[in-house]
Amino acid sequence: MSTTMERPPVRAPGPEGDARTVALRSRARNRVFWTRFGMQAPSLIILAIVLAFPLVYSVILSFQSYSPVDAEADGRFIGLDNYIRMLGDAQFGRAVLVTIAYVVLAVGIETVFGTILGVVLSRLIRSRRIVTSALLLPMIATPLVVGLMFSFGLNPQFGFMTDFLRALGLVGDGGVLDSAGGAFAALVVMDVWEWTPFIALMVLAGLSAAPQAQIQAAELDGCNTFQLYWHVMLPMVRPVLIVAILFRATEAIRQFDQVYILTGGGPGSATTVNDIFQYRVSFAAFDMSYGAALGVATFAVVATLSAILFRYLNRKGADA
Amino acid sequence: MSTSTVVNTRAIVTRDAGRGRSAAPSAGRSRARMIQIVLGIVAAALILVYLSPIIWLVITSFKDRVDIFSSSPSLFFAPTLENYRQAFLEKGFTDNLLNSTIVGLVSTGIALLVGVPAAYSLSRVRKGETFMMALLAARLLPAMVLAVPLFVLASSLGVRDSYFALIAAHLTFALPFTVWMMRGFFLAVPISLDEAARLDGCGEWKTFLRVILPIVKPGLASTGIFCLINSWNEFLFALVLTGRHTQTLPVAIPSLITPIGTSWGQVAAVGTITILPVLIIAFIVQKHIVAGMTGGAVSAE
Repeated sequence: MSTTMERPPVRAPGPEGDARTVALRSRARNRVFWTRFGMQAPSLIILAIVLAFPLVYSVILSFQSYSPVDAEADGRFIGLDNYIRMLGDAQFGRAVLVTIAYVVLAVGIETVFGTILGVVLSRLIRSRRIVTSALLLPMIATPLVVGLMFSFGLNPQFGFMTDFLRALGLVGDGGVLDSAGGAFAALVVMDVWEWTPFIALMVLAGLSAAPQAQIQAAELDGCNTFQLYWHVMLPMVRPVLIVAILFRATEAIRQFDQVYILTGGGPGSATTVNDIFQYRVSFAAFDMSYGAALGVATFAVVATLSAILFRYLNRKGADA
Repeated sequence: MSTSTVVNTRAIVTRDAGRGRSAAPSAGRSRARMIQIVLGIVAAALILVYLSPIIWLVITSFKDRVDIFSSSPSLFFAPTLENYRQAFLEKGFTDNLLNSTIVGLVSTGIALLVGVPAAYSLSRVRKGETFMMALLAARLLPAMVLAVPLFVLASSLGVRDSYFALIAAHLTFALPFTVWMMRGFFLAVPISLDEAARLDGCGEWKTFLRVILPIVKPGLASTGIFCLINSWNEFLFALVLTGRHTQTLPVAIPSLITPIGTSWGQVAAVGTITILPVLIIAFIVQKHIVAGMTGGAVSAE
């Protein structure tokens, strides 16, 4: 193979160089360009086909009226009608409220528990590996099966969680999922169960990267353990914690699998989170164009959250 | 000067503490050990309670119908493999298992084949940041946003209920994930290695294949494993894009649950088989799990 790639040590003697060197160098630059192109282009092409094109198509679809089961909705353009309909849709409004309540409650509880758990994990020495392995299982398990596990545990006839709650006198005969509050609480508990370890692992990573000198200095200054964690170490892990919370938030907003199998959005619309609502619009009522408009709106919200996330990611990179 | 004072004080403190401990009577030490044992038992019990939903699912899969519905403490029962036999040999869940495997392997293969060179190339240029952020945005994109257009496109192309449609859909997250994760591993390899290989007469492709790729082999393995797990666990795309012939395991499970006469034992058996490979594999890639969970945006350790 030829060796005309960039070779820093072998340089032309003068800054101008003669015509031959210039030609050689531009050929080398060309080759570098084509190698890079060869490495990156296949990814770009595939992403353009499977990702960018469907997204653009989705935006176009949201300005149309299209449904495969309705002859009237044949794909003609109706302008902003879908978006206007969205603003006046009481069911959508309810779904948004349920989603907000769900995300705030679940992620909030996870943050508190996860931070405590992360600190506890950081103090374990010999057993940390075993405990971490156990904590990993729920978040790596298939989300649908996580929903299934709680469906088994909360089954009114044979679930062990139902038995336990019944013994405490908290549930009646119908089981937990029968009441609106119970079903919603079950979803939050399930999410906390599944994702608290994620926050804990992030906090653990942040703690082990924290500069030791300042911690020792604080110890010498007579901080007690609580002061040490609250005033010294928490500020150190805050960037990591914020990234973790934002990640969780963008994921909780699109919660679907577990809800689909555990409650299906019911009873009534008590647990109809945004994605369940969209699923019903698009794939039960087959109102594709309205579904696309809802998707575009969701995308806008998630994109905003992601933009905030990027800022923190970048800042963390600058600190490191 | 002040630093050295701190260090000295620290040394004195630790030495004192050490002497105090060694002088303590052995009764105190044995009590400390007792406390440790008790704490250990409490911790083990807590972990058992924490994992109880998983344990309950697995136990249920070995019960027959009578044992499942018996209200007495049902930890003692005669285990049976009947549920597994019926679900996988009679009801055809083996096909779903096969579908999951095919889709997972092919989409992971394509993502690695195409994404790894791109990740290497992006790790060696200065202005790759915008592209990387776009890729992360793709990773954070709600699946529901893509499900609608993919469904309409797949329907109009007539490729619903084909492996092609589902694999294409899985590439929407597998490929951005691969590029992000692998770029992190490539960034950890010092660029001076590239330069050395270049001086020895390697072209960019040769440098990548012969020098850099072997170094990141562990990273490559865990990226591949995470791609497999993500594809295996994926539900929504599979739900809307597959039909009778291409259903993956997660999609097949809800169809077993009916308002009347659900055979919960079989549901549990299929659920157990679905999570089993994932849980086993998770132990292998434990070190990279935070990086994997955040799509390579944050790396622990």
